[in-house]
Amino acid sequence: MIELSVELPLAGFTLRVEAALGGRLTAVMGPSGSGKTSLLEAVAGLRSRCRGRIVLNGETLLDEARGIRLRPERRRLGYVPQDAGLFPHLTALGNVRFGARGKTAQVDGAIETLEIRPLLDRFPASLSGGERQRVSLARGLAADPRLLLLDEPLAGLDLGLRERILPYLLRIRDEWSVPMLYVTHNVGEALTLADQVLLLREGRVEAIGAPVDLLSSPALVREAASGIENLFTGSLLSHDRDGGVTRVDLGGRVTVATSLAAERPVGSRVTLAIRAEDVLVVTGPVEGLSARNVYEARVDAVERTGDDVTLRFHLAAGGPPWLARLTPAAVRDLRLRPGSAAWLAVKSHSVHFV
Amino acid sequence: MLSADEIGVVLFTLKIACLGTLLILPPGTAVALALARYRGPGKGALETLLSLPLVLPPTAVGILLLEAFSRRAPLGARLASIGLDVVFTWRGVLLATSLMSFPLLVRSARSAFEEVDPRLVGLARTLGCGPIAAFFRVTLPLAWRGVLGGTVLAFARALGEFGATVMVAGNIPGKTQTLALAIFHDNQIGRDDRAVVLAGVTVAVAFAALWTTEWMTRRRSRRAEP
Amino acid sequence: MVGGVLLGPATAEELNVFAAASLTDALEEIGKAYQTASGNEISFNLGASSDLARQIQAGAPADVFLSADKAQMDAVEEAGLVRAADRVALLSNTLAIVVPAASSIRLAAPGDLVGLKRLALADPEAVPAGLYARTWLQSLGLWVKVKAAIVPTLNVRAALAAVESGNADAGIVYRTDAAIAKRARVAFEVPREQGPAIVYVLAPVSSSKKASARDLAKYLASPDALRVYEKYGFLTLAGR
Repeated sequence: MIELSVELPLAGFTLRVEAALGGRLTAVMGPSGSGKTSLLEAVAGLRSRCRGRIVLNGETLLDEARGIRLRPERRRLGYVPQDAGLFPHLTALGNVRFGARGKTAQVDGAIETLEIRPLLDRFPASLSGGERQRVSLARGLAADPRLLLLDEPLAGLDLGLRERILPYLLRIRDEWSVPMLYVTHNVGEALTLADQVLLLREGRVEAIGAPVDLLSSPALVREAASGIENLFTGSLLSHDRDGGVTRVDLGGRVTVATSLAAERPVGSRVTLAIRAEDVLVVTGPVEGLSARNVYEARVDAVERTGDDVTLRFHLAAGGPPWLARLTPAAVRDLRLRPGSAAWLAVKSHSVHFV
Repeated sequence: MLSADEIGVVLFTLKIACLGTLLILPPGTAVALALARYRGPGKGALETLLSLPLVLPPTAVGILLLEAFSRRAPLGARLASIGLDVVFTWRGVLLATSLMSFPLLVRSARSAFEEVDPRLVGLARTLGCGPIAAFFRVTLPLAWRGVLGGTVLAFARALGEFGATVMVAGNIPGKTQTLALAIFHDNQIGRDDRAVVLAGVTVAVAFAALWTTEWMTRRRSRRAEP
Repeated sequence: MVGGVLLGPATAEELNVFAAASLTDALEEIGKAYQTASGNEISFNLGASSDLARQIQAGAPADVFLSADKAQMDAVEEAGLVRAADRVALLSNTLAIVVPAASSIRLAAPGDLVGLKRLALADPEAVPAGLYARTWLQSLGLWVKVKAAIVPTLNVRAALAAVESGNADAGIVYRTDAAIAKRARVAFEVPREQGPAIVYVLAPVSSSKKASARDLAKYLASPDALRVYEKYGFLTLAGR
């Protein structure tokens, strides 16, 4: 349990966060410059101008009123920065051992969890991005931390690499009993990893809640630049090898066809993401459309997001709301308003597993 | 090739240069670190002040030192009373050479420290290092080349210092005569032949010092490459 | 005619006089008078005679050389830059032991010099004033005993400065230097009979191309000039 009641002046605004965070992993999200990294640094003790109170599992790290301010080296936290931040003059092993204070069991455990044994003799310069990130994670863990702070650890890695490292993060979350504060821009990561999401905007907490609830809310719609995702959980219905599609049941009477994903077992719980840009809006039923997913729907909300317009629909068949992103011209031409009837169309290729 | 007296001069010069360099290493490194990290007001003025001995004529520095440490001045008188005469003694040589070489060390070391990513230091702190441990385990290992380079420069400068030294310590054979002063003296008394020999010695010493640094720096960087 | 010297040619010349440092004040006065009388400009290069002799031999543009001892003039003559016939043994001087004005050290006799921590003299390896002092100390058997305390300086005025600043306990300079000292006083003098024979030699530099060089040399030995030297405490050798 992390109790935060902090105030930190930054350039342009003051970071003010008041929150009690339980759970295994809290995702800290928000637009660039909203103070996410500063929050992590404040918890780590690297911001001397931070005021207020930070209590971690009953241990006070900061209590301005009582004159307590633990120095970073006494807080026993693990920090995993965005670009691994490995010490270039030490081998991977040297890096992992750095904060371990001789506790070999901890070091070995971290090495095993992140599977970096073959890399130990190498210097950071000769490691790939993914390998560096794993060493950085191991280094944080080996120090036997009370809390892990991760600052966009998967940013800058390509999709394939992200997919490969995500399991390690899950492993850490599940096997090591260390709470984690996880800054990310990526909705998929938040969905997969987080028990709750803390949404920051200009230094203020805009919302705290379960990932699924928050991430399709108008609140986040407003913030994100692009790639608003429609996120749906469901169970895998069937595979159609000849047709090249896999069907997922989203509950209610809604099923979605995605590109064939034969390796996933039937009946498994899955999460699907559809970018709002990939949702086509038609004013009437259509014949001869290639898209496999066509649904009758009605407009609930129309909101300007930058140069585009985001519309929220509810399907006639029920289920969670859908978001579509259109140009203002399209909205004007189709005369879309709250209450307008329309049909949504999405290609199976545009439906991604998360 | 060298007379006993001349060997004495060489040894004296080396001793003073080594001692002086060792003495300025801790404060020089500390000042360089502070300058690298400090971002507040007055930083520019401070840096300029510390760089002054680099651009001032050594005799200007010499006369200022002479005024400050002469027996008539409060500081000089106090030191003399406890037996620590500065003017016309080896202490004067040490003082003058150390002061003139100090800014060279600070400059090089500061550049090197500035190139160390401050985030790495922050990371080391979160991993349990206090500020001093973080310096020795992260900052210094990453900046050692610049610090070493600065140290060698300072040493070479101390070897060759003349203007400030001759004014504060005088040119007393056997007591305050360094190689540079001895060369001057030999020329003054019409023994240019010896002056040239001594000049050759300084070339050899300086060459050895610089070449060793080159070699050390190159060797280490080859090891760290993948 | 002024003082037995013909007025110089119509075009004013700039003349360089290389002279011993001990003559600084006397020459300043004499130089002013010459400039007014002749219309020529004088530029003085004052320092240790050994230093000056070296410079002249190396080709420095000296027109007149006034050395504090014979040896340096000999060196310049040997180099063919001064003619024997042009040399004039002009002045003499005596040695004096000085201490800082505020000093409480009591020095009354040569033997008192032993045991001093710092004794300033012009470099006893080359500079006339230092050589004279060394000769004197050697004649008394004191040289070896005071050697360790000696602070050699660039010239005799630098030795005086070291004493005036208080950085040296005592110094051996010319009596004429002690006379103009502001922050040093004479502890005792070396009488002429007991000291070494000090002779200042004057000569025009034969390689000089300036027409007035020989005239200037004559002026520096003229009765008017001799009066000034005596005023500052020098002993004149050349007769009036």
